[in-house]
Amino acid sequence: MAEISWEKPAAPSAQIPVKGNERWKFMVGGVLMLVAVVYMVVSGTMSGAQYFMTVGELVNSADYVGKTVRVSGAVDGNTINYDGENLVLDFTIANVPSETTDLALALHQAVSDTAAARIRVHMEGEVKPDLLQHEAQAIMTGVVGEDGVFYATELLLKCPSRYEEGVPEQVES
Amino acid sequence: MLAEIGLIAALFAFIAAVYAIIAAVYGERFARSEAMVRSARNAVILNFILVTVACLSLEVALMTEQYQISYVWMVSSPDMPTIYRLTALWGSQAGSLLFWSFLMSAFSAAAVVFNWKSQRRLMPYAIAYMMATVAFFLGLTVFFENPFERWWALPSGDFVASAFIPAGATAPSISMLAQSANGLNPLLRHFGMAIHPPMLYLGFVGFIIPFAFGMSALASGDLSTNWIKVSRRWALIAWLFLSLGLLLGGRWAYDVLGWGGYWGWDPVENAAFLPWLIGTAYLHSVMIQEKRGMLKTWNMFLVIGTFSSVIFATFATRAGLVDSVHSFAQSPIGPPMLTFWLLLTLIGFVLIIWRRSRGELKDDNQFRSVFSRESLFVLNNFVFVALFAVIFWGSFGAPIISEYFMGTNITLGLDYFNSVTAPLFLLLYLLMGVAPISAWGVSTVARMGRTLLTPLALAALSVGLFVISGVTNVWALLGYGLVLLAGWVAIYETYRGVLARRKAHASRENVLQSLGALFTRNPRRYGGYMIHLGITIIGLGVIGSMVFQQETQQTLTVGQSAQIGGYELRYDGLDTNQIADDGRIMDIANLTLSRGGQEIAHLRPRRDFFPEATDMNSTTIAGSYSTIENDFYVLLVNWEPISASSATFKIYINPLVNLVWWGGLILILGTLLAGYPRETLPARVRAKLELAPQGQGAD
Repeated sequence: MAEISWEKPAAPSAQIPVKGNERWKFMVGGVLMLVAVVYMVVSGTMSGAQYFMTVGELVNSADYVGKTVRVSGAVDGNTINYDGENLVLDFTIANVPSETTDLALALHQAVSDTAAARIRVHMEGEVKPDLLQHEAQAIMTGVVGEDGVFYATELLLKCPSRYEEGVPEQVES
Repeated sequence: MLAEIGLIAALFAFIAAVYAIIAAVYGERFARSEAMVRSARNAVILNFILVTVACLSLEVALMTEQYQISYVWMVSSPDMPTIYRLTALWGSQAGSLLFWSFLMSAFSAAAVVFNWKSQRRLMPYAIAYMMATVAFFLGLTVFFENPFERWWALPSGDFVASAFIPAGATAPSISMLAQSANGLNPLLRHFGMAIHPPMLYLGFVGFIIPFAFGMSALASGDLSTNWIKVSRRWALIAWLFLSLGLLLGGRWAYDVLGWGGYWGWDPVENAAFLPWLIGTAYLHSVMIQEKRGMLKTWNMFLVIGTFSSVIFATFATRAGLVDSVHSFAQSPIGPPMLTFWLLLTLIGFVLIIWRRSRGELKDDNQFRSVFSRESLFVLNNFVFVALFAVIFWGSFGAPIISEYFMGTNITLGLDYFNSVTAPLFLLLYLLMGVAPISAWGVSTVARMGRTLLTPLALAALSVGLFVISGVTNVWALLGYGLVLLAGWVAIYETYRGVLARRKAHASRENVLQSLGALFTRNPRRYGGYMIHLGITIIGLGVIGSMVFQQETQQTLTVGQSAQIGGYELRYDGLDTNQIADDGRIMDIANLTLSRGGQEIAHLRPRRDFFPEATDMNSTTIAGSYSTIENDFYVLLVNWEPISASSATFKIYINPLVNLVWWGGLILILGTLLAGYPRETLPARVRAKLELAPQGQGAD
């Protein structure tokens, strides 16, 4: 198929003479930049990588004491204790099995299961999050101390139960 | 009744889309029948009408509180205000998928109607690709996540949601359903949340048109600049909405989530940012193809890559990919979405490689100088794609690879994103400063240096102002300098344009008229500069708020004051148990903010309690005092029960954060200007050109 070109030719740029073939400059520049980006990604990954673990893995191994890790678990609402004056937050999370399809159910079972691994969480200087509720999923970044308490620096919460799924319950009327 | 109408309309819309694909491809390729291609066009329009009916019936069901429909039951409740009832259409998965299909169908119909005459040759395959995508999403709606399912009471006493009546089931009582209806998550009851999703969806979905025309060019072999011309404006429209959606999302987080920030590098946020990066790269490199006939293959990769990353983002957020990294919730739409995404990307890339191997994507020019504008544009594209790659790696690559190949779960936190993206963003600002003053074809450093002198001096002066105001952090000053250079270049170039016009038309125009004429004569160029200016202002806001945020916490008794950052904050007491229209109970603290002994504002941070909600039943709403200089942002954390004689506050001072929103506004205006339709030839002449056999008009 014939190509039709109706574009205006580019303005002549003959005022400045072209110095030979500059292809190699592009190649060298490109390779250098690629190396720079790869270096940044690798070093960023090395220093920024956080192991994401379950409560069970964290409790059963001493390897992680003192290291920054991420952990996810189900919040036990009865253990939430917030000192609003000093912004000190304490609660306990329970291990959630990793293979689940229904998050709400898994969180509920984790909190109810007295045999599930648990860890105490301590956090300072933060406003108590609105989403910190019974059977919420907590995803935290922090360090496990020698005392076995998880000192969290970052806390993300998810409440899957009510606004996503659910089935009407029989209401007697 | 509404459920049946909606379901049937959605089903027939699906059939119409499939028919359009068949009629378009068969009519063009095999039957060579104009009538069939026209029929395909009509099917696209019919598809739009039917999806509109489906959407409207769900909307009416929401407004009239048909709680028997399980979607209505899930996202609304009797106590909800009308506005949130209206926006509950996209409040959860099933409804938002239908809404998504509706927008996609609307874009497709608009493209078919507006571009039919000018792009008749590209139309058949464009229709096929658009309708294939629409059909896929409608298929998800009809077969996987059906918003028209209703609750049925089984004889056993259990409830099931189903589109059809299960054997022996009866309809549950409406009053019972109304009583137990879920309602909308309180966090989502915010103006930003009402309009953020539609804007983001419009941005995502809009890229279907450039994608479809690009694919059509590859499939049909019409690889001239036809497809570029038609897709550029659509891409700009999509880009506008995507930018707006991202900004609104940030604003919502800032107002509602109470951490004084607007961007957290969360995988879901990142997923929405990825198409923006590739789309922005495309909008730049497309200029090189228009002006110089270069980068043809690359542009194809970008336009297909943009839509591919849109589908990936939808997949990642909707199918719970991000969650599955955290080992949770699988949605039934995951496997089909993954398949669709892989297929679409594969077909696109294979088509590109095929056309290229046939020598049909050959560039008309070659790179001649490292400092030419086209080289700098290539560098710009490199940086955008690098940003895409590092963010993709951090959000999805590293977690998925570690999970499947290393048996561990690795995630990358804020440190990774901040340290890796910051240099790339700064390089982008540098390019934004240098590229607009470079010349096409060949350019030299000396030439560019001369033109850069004035903007450089202006940038240095403005950095001086930051130094005088007390900024001593060298990295921040360097950042400010690079960002400001980009902005000054945009202003300076516009100024030079005005100056040149004044030379020619000084007697007839004043300065404003010259500026207006400049904008109307070359809206793409000056709209682009305005966008650069907006990005500059956003950059200043980001640096200021990220590097210099101050935070503190204070417990104050009534009448006591706290001092922070030159402000004085006095606690005047607490209004407890205030009841709002939607039933929420508010505890509001009264604070007086002073500066230099002058009272400047009364702040009312509050805690809202939702008595009907069981799980997520309270929200913290910040009180803030905004100036261009900073935001004084206060959260009510805690108070002495009953007497409220003392209360605890968390206070943030976020310098320059409002520049993020103001810059966003300028960016939007610039985009509107850049995309403003422009008639270069009188309509009469254009009509004649369009009638001519190969008449594609002039640009």
